[in-house]
Amino acid sequence: MEIIQIVGIGILATVLILVLKEQKPVFAFLLTTAAGILIFLFLIGKIGTILGTLERVAESSGMEMIHIKTVFKIIGISYIAEFGAQIVRDAGQESIASKIELAGKVLIMVLAVPIISIIIETVMKLLPA
Amino acid sequence: MSWLSSWLHELILVVLMAAFVEMLLPSKSMERYARLVLSLLVLLTMLSPIISLLKGDASKELTVAMQQQERSGGLLNRAEGAPDSLDKILADGRMLAAGARDQSLKLAAEEIAGQMRDQIAGSTGLGGVKVTVALAMGPNPNAPLGEEVPLISSVTVALPPEQSASGGAVQGGGASSLPSAGPIQINPVEPVQVSLEGSGGEGEAQEASSSGGGSAPASSSSGSGTEGVQETQAEEAGTIIQLLEKNWNLDPALIKVQSSGGGTVKS
Repeated sequence: MEIIQIVGIGILATVLILVLKEQKPVFAFLLTTAAGILIFLFLIGKIGTILGTLERVAESSGMEMIHIKTVFKIIGISYIAEFGAQIVRDAGQESIASKIELAGKVLIMVLAVPIISIIIETVMKLLPA
Repeated sequence: MSWLSSWLHELILVVLMAAFVEMLLPSKSMERYARLVLSLLVLLTMLSPIISLLKGDASKELTVAMQQQERSGGLLNRAEGAPDSLDKILADGRMLAAGARDQSLKLAAEEIAGQMRDQIAGSTGLGGVKVTVALAMGPNPNAPLGEEVPLISSVTVALPPEQSASGGAVQGGGASSLPSAGPIQINPVEPVQVSLEGSGGEGEAQEASSSGGGSAPASSSSGSGTEGVQETQAEEAGTIIQLLEKNWNLDPALIKVQSSGGGTVKS
């Protein structure tokens, strides 16, 4: 039933923002941000459940914890970057939003650096000198 | 065969998880990058037997790299991270190494002391000898330019108190060793006399006073007694020093033999 609540919050916020935009555009932006954060908070518990399940399964099957950690970091970075970029985009600052997205992409790539270095070192060792 | 099953296990799980996580991702723009990292993870898992064969523990290396990233990341904590640089880490490492070396020297010294004690007990028949060995790092005499090696810097042998008493005359009993004894003295308990008030009280009081006053003749005889003690102790010390010198190839100046009282008999 949470989806009804979330859609209700969304529609309510949209109507209020439409009304408020004529009078005070700044407050309309604040309301947008607040509604976005509210919906995100609704979802964060559910995401936690999913990630907890993943972690438990991985732990019980003896998977490397560092892999799980990396995957969780990817999810976290992409969610946060996406959320921030959308808020900024709503305020009309397209260029800053794309910068935030760029930062998210770079941070995800940085996570790959240790993995890439290990794989490359192994491959170099496999090759005849 | 068990490694194969565990490897397959892990591989299947990583692939499943990658597919699942791709669905969780919020937007298309991030998806390409996230997919790259996930596929690298899958590749790492596939290669893990080869990696462990060629390189050692890959997951530990990954963990270290992640921690380094976490520590150096961000705009704000970079300034704090700066002093935690190579110099500090090296200094910490040196300190830890020095601590470990001290501890190992102490352990080795105790071991050597135990062996010396056993040797002394075996060859001279002296029980209860207390041996204290001090080790220090010094230049290797065989290779002067090489690394420092632990050397025995001093050996202290404390002769047991029974030895000094039994070596001398026994006339004085416990009291005879008291004048030459060291700072810690435990006076022997005087025999407890319970005197009932009454007729025999006076005689018993006299007995008590004579046993208490027994220390007077004992102390007078202790003069000749301690000389004998010191002679035998010197002999013992000589044999102990010779023994240690021969068995451990030590400089005799490093060996110190103490009597029970703490006075140096021979060094």
